[in-house]
Amino acid sequence: MIAPPDGVALLPLAPVLTLLIAASAALLIGVTTGDARNGGALAVLGLLVAALFAGLRLFDAAGGAPVTSFGLQWQVDAPSAGLALTVLIGAFLAVLIGWDALARTGMDRPEYYPLLLLATAGAMTMIHAADFVVLLLGLEILSLSVYALSAWRDGDRQSEEAGLKYFLLGAFASAVLIYGVALVYGATGAFAFTDIAASLGDGPTAPLALLGGVLVLAGLGFKVSFAPFHQWAPDVYTGAPTPVTAFMSVVVKAAAFGALVRVFALAWPQALPELDTLLAALVALTLLVGNFGALLQSGVKRMLAYSAVAHAGYLGLAVLAAGQGMLGQQTVAWYLLAYTVMNAGAFAVLSLVMGDDPRGDRIEAWEGLGTRRPGLAIAMTLFLFSLAGLPPLAGFFGKALAVQAALQAGWTALAVLALITAVVAVVYYLRVVWAMWLTKGGQGTPLRSGAASWAIGLAAAGTVALGLFPSVWYGLLEGVRLVIQAGL
Amino acid sequence: MTAAAILIPLVAAIVAWRLPRRVAAVVALVGTIATFLVATFLAGAPALEIAWLPALGIGFRLDPAGVSSVLILAASLTMIPTVLVAGRHVGERDAPAFLALLLVMQASLNGLFLASDLVLTYVFWEATLIPSLLMLGLFGGDRRRGAVTKYLIYAVSGSFLMLASILALRPLSGAESYAFADLLPATRALDPVTQAWLFAGFAAAFAVKLPLFPLHSWLIDFHRQNHPSGVADVAGTLYKVGGFGFFAWAIPLLPAGAQAFQPWLLTLAAVTAVWGGLAATQQKDLKSLMAYMSLSHMGLVGIGVFSLTAAGMNGAMILLAAQMLSTGGLFLLSGMLHRRRDTFELDAFGGLAKSAPALAAVTLLVLFAAIGVPGLSNFPGEFMSLMGGYAASPWLISFAALGSVVAAGVYGVNTYQRLYQGRAREGTRDLNGLEVLVIAPILAGILWLGLAPAPQIARIDAATVVALELEVDTTGETTGQTPAGAAERLANDQEAIPAPDLALGGEP
Repeated sequence: MIAPPDGVALLPLAPVLTLLIAASAALLIGVTTGDARNGGALAVLGLLVAALFAGLRLFDAAGGAPVTSFGLQWQVDAPSAGLALTVLIGAFLAVLIGWDALARTGMDRPEYYPLLLLATAGAMTMIHAADFVVLLLGLEILSLSVYALSAWRDGDRQSEEAGLKYFLLGAFASAVLIYGVALVYGATGAFAFTDIAASLGDGPTAPLALLGGVLVLAGLGFKVSFAPFHQWAPDVYTGAPTPVTAFMSVVVKAAAFGALVRVFALAWPQALPELDTLLAALVALTLLVGNFGALLQSGVKRMLAYSAVAHAGYLGLAVLAAGQGMLGQQTVAWYLLAYTVMNAGAFAVLSLVMGDDPRGDRIEAWEGLGTRRPGLAIAMTLFLFSLAGLPPLAGFFGKALAVQAALQAGWTALAVLALITAVVAVVYYLRVVWAMWLTKGGQGTPLRSGAASWAIGLAAAGTVALGLFPSVWYGLLEGVRLVIQAGL
Repeated sequence: MTAAAILIPLVAAIVAWRLPRRVAAVVALVGTIATFLVATFLAGAPALEIAWLPALGIGFRLDPAGVSSVLILAASLTMIPTVLVAGRHVGERDAPAFLALLLVMQASLNGLFLASDLVLTYVFWEATLIPSLLMLGLFGGDRRRGAVTKYLIYAVSGSFLMLASILALRPLSGAESYAFADLLPATRALDPVTQAWLFAGFAAAFAVKLPLFPLHSWLIDFHRQNHPSGVADVAGTLYKVGGFGFFAWAIPLLPAGAQAFQPWLLTLAAVTAVWGGLAATQQKDLKSLMAYMSLSHMGLVGIGVFSLTAAGMNGAMILLAAQMLSTGGLFLLSGMLHRRRDTFELDAFGGLAKSAPALAAVTLLVLFAAIGVPGLSNFPGEFMSLMGGYAASPWLISFAALGSVVAAGVYGVNTYQRLYQGRAREGTRDLNGLEVLVIAPILAGILWLGLAPAPQIARIDAATVVALELEVDTTGETTGQTPAGAAERLANDQEAIPAPDLALGGEP
């Protein structure tokens, strides 16, 4: 047994290490046997073990002080442990969605699952980063894997365009982020979030730190798809294979928001008010662009892409609150699990309805689904109602928590805007519901897939359970041990 | 006990959904009868509280006291014949789903009436929307798509504005939780301008569901396009809960906000009452006529609630309960007529009294109840609402009372004439056994609320006193509104005198 170097605690790293080992093993097995399913099985195993570790960390973190590793560069607290679990759940659902779809469309090359595991490891690194260098490291591990995955559909112009577009814009965003980090370092002489906060807290705001902060916000804003940095999202979401889109929409989003909320909560809490104003403007724009953009789409996959932008707006409200010392981190983590289950569920149904036709997401494909495949239609209705924020489903409490956090932090106008644009959201989500239930006939036969059905079932259970018992998950994130009070 | 009012219909809905029609009908009927029995014991039942999301002060809190037990009683009585009709006269394939939706609707409505936590109220508020939308969307007429969209946009726009107010209420007031009892002292202490803004958010949702002119146009399409059996219309009638929302939440929590908006809301309610009545006299289609008639009643409910007097508010709530029975009954009767002629065109009827005397007599009675004839269900509520409104704004309400009561006389008598009198082109069959069973609970309810409204009004009064004492406390000294004592005396007078003796209200 080799002892780890000083200051390196292995336990907080266990989930990521598990994923790295699983990725390497899956790559070896995949390449030697040539069958992607073997790597896939290993990926499932790796994700489950990692989830076990992350779950243990979450229970440990509840009520305890944050655990760090590498000095201060890696920090596990209750919200980040919760986000890590969320990322693993999202990755697991994405694996299930892709299980049959990949083989059916000839995309089952052995590198798929290792790349997916690496991306997940990168996502978890971003979430736990307490230091800009670690954050960048995680971001690059995540991004490089996802660039490759989004161009996975070989020989398909749309998919290749998606990959290239994502790569070019993503590289540009990374550069902006790195430049911002460099400026912040120049102003404060620190990479670690807490050191930056300490340095900023001393005197008046340095213009250099502010400029650095703006660039960091822009760089991360690209990853979370805040408007006006959202342009890539609809094209990449539409072009990438649906299982990859599902992965991107939940895992990449959770990782980027985990990093963003941490930067705002730990690196410059209340120190850079101008940055809060800028973020508020981005959130307002994102709410408008995401919701009205989704309203104008005719394809369901593209609508879900814009809806992902819109949800970034609601999450942004909680990030704003976190920057002012409110319970924003918990809210972001809660919302992201809710968003992960309902959105992955919607993509799982979408992958079955679209089948192998890259343009099969037209609204006509959904018509009459209620009579042709009632089970699928009911699940999709549930996911869309939840995405629309109707109670008592997960999405409702997500929205309620985010708006409440924003109101507590004093962003009243923004909170009202969020709820007004949510009316628009109801219209575009329910348009799909109407097509499924109110229109008779319709053509196309949705595929059947055992793994995807599992994903749909799990996601539906999660969507309902989070809505009916919101305090279980919230209690864990809040770092309070679960107390059940029932007075009859 | 308290939760059973929600759980019984919910379980019945889940069970009925996948069963064959006959079995589903029996399950639904048993479910509604059981719910009605629970409702009769509800007034004395204990409150319920289960933690839900304590971090945000949200709890699963139910309280059957006050107006909720009265409204649930009337609603669950109306549901029994409605389920009977749905089980029989909706197509073989659609019936189980239709019944399940009706029961879900009942469960959510009961939840809405019982909830004593503001966020839980909102949850049930939205939960009620979905089954009513689905009933219209799945089983409605040819042009239902437009009606569904209109209804959805009106309802959701209003309710999301309300959600903004709800979520802002606790941070702004510093209340410990969203429980009514916790909110009450905290929100009352807010400054009047904040209260007015918050009240506006609530008013947006409640005015759509009241509905208040000019936000009523969804209602007409809703009724025109719904299933011809009239069953979904009954559910829609039970769902006119805007007045309840104002009464139970917006006015008690935000008295200064209510004061600020009172003149506007009262005027709109008066316009609604007169407009609905006048429009009803002009309709050629039975269901549109019912829709406008119902709109006029809702205007009267609005007048009572916005009068901010004890008499008016008590009257509005008892009228809300009464119109569930009378308007619901009329929608069921219009379904029976539709089965005889396959149309709602008034011109297609006429002279039916000869061949169907019992049907004619029953219709006349329910119509009389609806237009507020003394001794029947709607009279006490209408009278008290107008009396309260008169105390708040004599000229306006004199105009509204005159307009709506005269119009009611005209459309009431006119409807009867066009359906049952004149020359019969062809005869029709009289009430059959099922139809007698359907209409019997409605008649019983109409007579019950008409002859002995006092116990129900006393229950409602308990909630009114809470709402109004606060209103008088905060504004009494500044605006010199109706003193609490006088208003309560008005209410007490109303209870002391048996309703039939008050037959001088200028009613037809």
